[in-house]
Amino acid sequence: MQPDELARSIETLESTAAEGALLANDVAGDRSKATFVRAHARELGETVEHEAEKLNDAEADPQGGVAPAKVKAINLADEISAALGRIQIAPDDEAEGGAAEKELSALSEKAGDLAEGL
Amino acid sequence: MIAAIGGFVDIGDLVFNAQAGASVGTPALWAVPVGVLGIMIFAEMSGRIVAVSNKPNFVLVKERYSTRLSTFTLVASLVLTVLTLGAELGGLGFVLNYLFDVSVNFFVLVALFAIAAAIYFLPFGGLERVFGYMGLALLVYIVASIKLDPDWGEIGRGFVPERHGAAVYWYFVVGLIAAALMPYEIYFYSSGAVEEGWDERDMKVNKANAFVGFGLGGLISVGILVAAAQVLKPAGISPDSIGTVALVAEVPYGETGLILAFIGIIFAVGGATIDTAFSAAYNLAQHQGWKWGKRFRLLDEPRFTLSLAGFLLVGFAIAQSGVDPISLTEYAVIFSIPVLPLTYLPILLVGNDPNVMGKHVNGPVNRLLGWAYFGLICLLAVAAPVLFVWTNGGG
Repeated sequence: MQPDELARSIETLESTAAEGALLANDVAGDRSKATFVRAHARELGETVEHEAEKLNDAEADPQGGVAPAKVKAINLADEISAALGRIQIAPDDEAEGGAAEKELSALSEKAGDLAEGL
Repeated sequence: MIAAIGGFVDIGDLVFNAQAGASVGTPALWAVPVGVLGIMIFAEMSGRIVAVSNKPNFVLVKERYSTRLSTFTLVASLVLTVLTLGAELGGLGFVLNYLFDVSVNFFVLVALFAIAAAIYFLPFGGLERVFGYMGLALLVYIVASIKLDPDWGEIGRGFVPERHGAAVYWYFVVGLIAAALMPYEIYFYSSGAVEEGWDERDMKVNKANAFVGFGLGGLISVGILVAAAQVLKPAGISPDSIGTVALVAEVPYGETGLILAFIGIIFAVGGATIDTAFSAAYNLAQHQGWKWGKRFRLLDEPRFTLSLAGFLLVGFAIAQSGVDPISLTEYAVIFSIPVLPLTYLPILLVGNDPNVMGKHVNGPVNRLLGWAYFGLICLLAVAAPVLFVWTNGGG
């Protein structure tokens, strides 16, 4: 796996987490529709899981420098997926939405930093 | 007039405008009026040709091209139109699932039945009115783009083309222009004019349809791009789903904005589904010389009716295959560009022909704009596949 491929993958994680944060923010403010939140959070979760699978299957040269970043990206994907799961399970819970929004924003920033470091 | 909106703002426009707004922002805005002016000019020309000669676009293709070239044009347009039809049906499945959360595949089936029922039960004018008027709910994007308090100076500068080194910028510029000029739109427009029995008395209706209708569609496209640039770009979000396009309206207006966006998307994309299905059936029937049209009872011309049903079923199979409608849309838009010159050339040739058009032949301005746009289309036909590969599909 080349650094630019890994960076693209991490950027997908960053974008998905940021979108999840936007969605969670609307849950927190009771400004969305539960069916939409549930279906869209599921969709975003699937995107993240697919990206994690791709990262897991990609071969990264342990000497090449991207292997540690790849592991970090897979862990990030897990965390983003879990945070999206919170609003998918409780799309009407404003407190849960607020917590997920904070978590997803932080994860998006973390992904951005990781991509920039490559 | 309203009909043009439903046919203009389809899933390709929704996706490309939102992606362009999120990716390159308002500097790509100028591409929208360039595309809209192109479709206005050629739609008006094709409507005028129908009013004078009663010949829809594929009849012109058949008359002006060799058998081999007209067959190639038919096959290429059918492949791209049916791919678009699959993307539209898939998009409908996703939006309905956002509203009821059962399963996307189930709602693709529901959408197929709803579209088939609308085609069977509604008259041609009724189809246009229902889908066109309800599609106006997409105006929420214009209102949203204003409510989001954009930098108006930046928006103004976005309408002026600028020198840009990034290939991804040019990819979206090409995509935005192409999304406005999708071949099925012009095939449907000219065949629809035959369905409605236009003659020389309908020149004003034709102009209103082409300029006001497509103009309103263009404004909605601008609204989507500007709103996406305000909501998605600062957050670094790349819209890979139709849900993201809906989310853009939710941010300023909450659930009301979301519901209006869904209504608008359902009817605009539903209208485009009908347009693409009819367009494919019209092209095949006109190429084969069959009797065609909704103005006849469906069972009076079984070959046309069967091809209409067949194309809907192929589109349904594509949508059910699990292929991502957004990716499918991007492929359909980008790969329709090399076919654009074949679609638009016969309109220009006939519009310029005084033997056919008589006193309604293209004037100097129409002639100049027509050739200028044809040159642009040829340039895009070369640039689009290159940019697609170079930018990895704008990614």
